[in-house]
Amino acid sequence: MSNGEVFGHLTFAALIFLLLPLARIARPLRVAAFASLLGLAFLPMVSGLSPGDYVRSYTDDLAITTLVWLLWTVFVRLTGVGRVAPRHHFQLATCFALLALVLYPATLGLASLDPYRLGFSPLSLLVAMWLLCLWLWWQRNHLGLALIVIATLAWWLDVKDSDNYWDYLVDPALGVYALGYLLYACLRRRSGARATP
Amino acid sequence: MFRSIRQCARIAQLCVVCTLFGICLWQAREARVAPFSVAAVPSGAPTAAADAPRIESYFASSTFHRHVHSASISPLSDGGLIAAWFAGSREGAHDVNIHAARFDAENRSWGDEFRLISREATERMLQRNIRKLGNPVIALAPDDRLWLFYVSVSLGGWAGSAINTMYSDDDGATWSQPRRLITSPFFNISTLVRNPPVFHSDGSIGLPIYHEFLGKFAEYLYLGPDGEIVDKFRISSGDHSLQPAIVPLSDDSAVALLRNAGMAHGKVLASFTRDRGQSWSEHVAVDPWNPNSAVAAVNEGDGDILVALNDLQDGRFRLSLYHADQDLQHWRPVAVMDESPTGEERVAEDVYMQTLSARYQDVAPEPRETPSHLEQLRSELRRRACHQGPQCEFKYEYPTLIRAPNGFFHLVYSWNNTLIKHVVFNRAWVEQGA
Repeated sequence: MSNGEVFGHLTFAALIFLLLPLARIARPLRVAAFASLLGLAFLPMVSGLSPGDYVRSYTDDLAITTLVWLLWTVFVRLTGVGRVAPRHHFQLATCFALLALVLYPATLGLASLDPYRLGFSPLSLLVAMWLLCLWLWWQRNHLGLALIVIATLAWWLDVKDSDNYWDYLVDPALGVYALGYLLYACLRRRSGARATP
Repeated sequence: MFRSIRQCARIAQLCVVCTLFGICLWQAREARVAPFSVAAVPSGAPTAAADAPRIESYFASSTFHRHVHSASISPLSDGGLIAAWFAGSREGAHDVNIHAARFDAENRSWGDEFRLISREATERMLQRNIRKLGNPVIALAPDDRLWLFYVSVSLGGWAGSAINTMYSDDDGATWSQPRRLITSPFFNISTLVRNPPVFHSDGSIGLPIYHEFLGKFAEYLYLGPDGEIVDKFRISSGDHSLQPAIVPLSDDSAVALLRNAGMAHGKVLASFTRDRGQSWSEHVAVDPWNPNSAVAAVNEGDGDILVALNDLQDGRFRLSLYHADQDLQHWRPVAVMDESPTGEERVAEDVYMQTLSARYQDVAPEPRETPSHLEQLRSELRRRACHQGPQCEFKYEYPTLIRAPNGFFHLVYSWNNTLIKHVVFNRAWVEQGA
């Protein structure tokens, strides 16, 4: 089984687990639920493909940052420890939204420049991510720092099928989530400001 | 004490970050693109150009009951040829597979077609749901490794395409498992192949690819000799250029001819590189018409270019061969390879059947000329091409043109989506026509 398949199965189990309303059930049951989903993700269906394979077929391999963030969120749901401060969550959403906005519109043909190219010989992208890591370190955003460092380590170790550094850092699902979170946070701030006398 | 432990942890974090990025930056290198490998006729090979004018026609596919399309052809290291195309009940159907056949150079005949890779096998080996297969491209590398690139779709139409690759080190007798090329950050969709790759002097592969999702534009995918992606360069931008055909002209320069997928009555588009494919000029329209159909091109051997295309404003009922200079300023028609007898796309069914039966018999060897064989051909043509009331539609399209190491040119194309036609000719025949 390739690394990509393992990542696909983990993504399936984590996504379904986080979407299920399990917050009020006992911790052992939550652990059992996640373990069951993990088993289900690997279970071959009639076609010979597992549910994890189907997710991977349509989303391709998600970024390492997405996978680590999903697994961290699962860990928080299971243990109740390690919650990310809203300020740090906002910082992360801003970073990934910016990366997505830089990458996707131009790569899909809305500009003549192709930023995806930067990921094949990623000197400038590595420098940018290094600076981002220093900023996250300065902000004491441990999760953000861990996401970028693990993604970079994974790229260095060549653990994904992709040869492109971008594919370790961001994917469309993470971009949409980050933009959605920013929108939600901004709307919430506006409604909070209105409610304040 | 806790404070000092926290401070140590923060310093350790910083050390990890700096060490990791330091190593990555130390090892990261800008990719260097090697000079193009401009194919020359080997000195010891039979000089096809010096012979008398020669042209022969064959059918590479050997059954009628499948819709066949998008053929590609490559020389083999033993002097033979292999052609690959997609075949199924219709384009985009679940039962479309990649078919192939071999041409025996000694007997001068095509063997029976066979299934090279199926949708099911691709799905099983990639462990991904595959809805349909599409364009295959086959090419022999300078190290005699035979490469197959082919399109697959998991979700949606052709905009959901991804490219897979396999290789064979024994002229196609056995193949590696397919591998998915990751060419787009957006769920890796919307990248297709159509025309054969070109090779660089260090064995690296220049694969012409194109996108058709939000935009329709062409790119040059630069792969290492083992098929790993090294870099990618934009050939065109916008929403109306597809299916680049790359012709290396010298060590550093090449031209890309592009299918015009814009508004009606467009002309062939072209873009030039002078730095081994790393940057391309703004694409311009050149002389021949292009009815939003595939274009094939090859270096004639002296730097001029031979182009196969539908030089029509609409329809694909005529396939022509043109000669163009390196700057694409001067075009001369060489020959019409196939066309509708009336000069119109649609003709009455009886005219259509008579024409194609006669042309089939001109090309097909025994025992394919039996009456039952012809009736089967007519039945398939009727089912596939006669949708416009009593009229039927001619389609000679999707050409691929290569020059073999012995100097002969090989052209394959879809013959009314029922057969794959193969035409072989030499330089003397081209010069006679031009």
